[in-house]
Amino acid sequence: MKEHDVPEEYEVFEVFVQKTQADFHTHVGSIVAPSPDVALMNARENFLRRESGVNLWVVPRQCVTATPYDTDVDWFAREMDRKYREAGGYPENGRLWKMYKERVLHLDEIVEDLHGEKDKRKNESASS
Amino acid sequence: MSIADKEIRFMERIKAGYKIEATDWMPDEYRKLLLKLIHMHGISEIMGALPEKEWVPKAPTLKRKLAIMAKVQDEMGHGQLLLRVAEDLAAPFGRTREDLVTDVIHGRVKFHNVFHMEAPTWADAGIIGWLVDGAAIINQAALLHTSYGPYARVLKRICAEESFHMQHGESIILTLAGGTDDQRQMLQDALNRWWESLLFFFGPVEVTASAQRMIDYGIRTKTNEELRQQFFTKYVPRIRSLGLEVPDPKLSYDEEAKRWIWTEPDWEKFGRVVKENQGPKSQQRVDLRRFAHEEQQWVREAMLRSRKKTVSMIV
Repeated sequence: MKEHDVPEEYEVFEVFVQKTQADFHTHVGSIVAPSPDVALMNARENFLRRESGVNLWVVPRQCVTATPYDTDVDWFAREMDRKYREAGGYPENGRLWKMYKERVLHLDEIVEDLHGEKDKRKNESASS
Repeated sequence: MSIADKEIRFMERIKAGYKIEATDWMPDEYRKLLLKLIHMHGISEIMGALPEKEWVPKAPTLKRKLAIMAKVQDEMGHGQLLLRVAEDLAAPFGRTREDLVTDVIHGRVKFHNVFHMEAPTWADAGIIGWLVDGAAIINQAALLHTSYGPYARVLKRICAEESFHMQHGESIILTLAGGTDDQRQMLQDALNRWWESLLFFFGPVEVTASAQRMIDYGIRTKTNEELRQQFFTKYVPRIRSLGLEVPDPKLSYDEEAKRWIWTEPDWEKFGRVVKENQGPKSQQRVDLRRFAHEEQQWVREAMLRSRKKTVSMIV
C-alpha cells in the first residue's frame, strides 16, 4: 500500500458472459480493474467488441474456489463404467425395436419436431 | 516430491498433451521462457497499434477510419489479454503488471522490429494490415497448440479477431492495386520498404538454444524457418498475382527441396533496431508510450482511491 491506503495494483476479475437469456453465463477470461464497476466496463470492451451478450458477471478472482489441475487426480476419476447414465449406453434398443417393426425414439427428434412446429407458426404469423 | 521428480512429472504431462495452468507447479526455466515470450507479445500488440494509429486521422474514407480504429482497439485489447497472462507468470518473481507495462519505457523488454518502422503512406497502412498482420497471424496460429493453457485460450480469441484484420488488410491493398498508376506505385514502394522487416520478423534461421528449449517444452511447436516458409507459400503468389514485384531477385521456389530460397535481411541492422531501439521510429513511439502512461497515472490513482465509494454504491 502507498500513502493514504491506496492499493498499488488493480484487482483481477474473472469475466462471465451470458450470450442470451437461454444460456448460462460462460467464463471467457479475466481482466484487471480498480473496482467492480470499472471491471464491468473493461470486460465489455475486452470481450464484447463483436460478440453480443445480454449480461456480464465480474467476480474477484480471490472469490473463486477451484479444484487443482495436477495434484488430486482422483477428483475427476471415473471409478466404474457409467454408460448406464448415458443415452449411448443402450445400443441394443434399436435391434429390439426392429423386431416390432419400429425404431428408437431420440430426444433430438422430439425437439426438432417441436421446434419445426414453432418456427412454422412463427413464419405463418409473420407472413400473414 | 523432489524438484527432479517434479520436473520429470512435468515433462511427462507435457509429452502426454496436457496443458499447464497458472496454478500448476512449473520449472523456473519454463516460466521464464513463457514470460519472456508472452511479455514481448503483449507489449508488441500495444506498440503495434501505434504505427496504425497514425493513420486514423488520415484514413481516406469514413469507413476506412472506422475499420482502422477498430483494429487499433483490437490490438490494445490483445495487449491487455496477453499482459493478464504474463502478469500471473511474473507474480512469483515479485514482478507486477506495472513493471510489465513500464519495462518498455525503460528499454527492458523488446518489441517486434516491424513496429519500429515508419508508415509514411496509406499503402504502408495497407501493407501493415495485409503482410505484417499476415506474418503475425502465422506466428500466432502456430502457437495455438502451446503447452500453456492460459496462453492457448487467449490466442484462440486473438486469432478469431485476426480473421477480421486479414480481410481489412486485403481490402486496402486490393483497392490500391486496382487503382491508378500512382496508387500501384505507392503500394510497390510500401512493399519494398517492408519486405526486409517482414523476413526479420520471423527470427533467425538457426534454432537458438532458447528456441530449442521452447520446442522441448511444447511452448512452440514450429521453428522460425518453418513459419517463414509458410509465409512465402501463402503470400508470394498473391503478391505476384497483383502485379507487384517482391524486392528480392533471389526469391524462388525450389521444387525439389520443397522450400523457398530467399535473401537474408541485414540481421545486425534489425538486431540493433530491436535490442537498442535504434529504428527510425523507436524513440518516438517509446516516448509516446511513456507520455500516455505518465499522463494517465492520475486517472488510475483516482480510480483506485474512489474504489471504496463505488463498491458501497453498487451494494
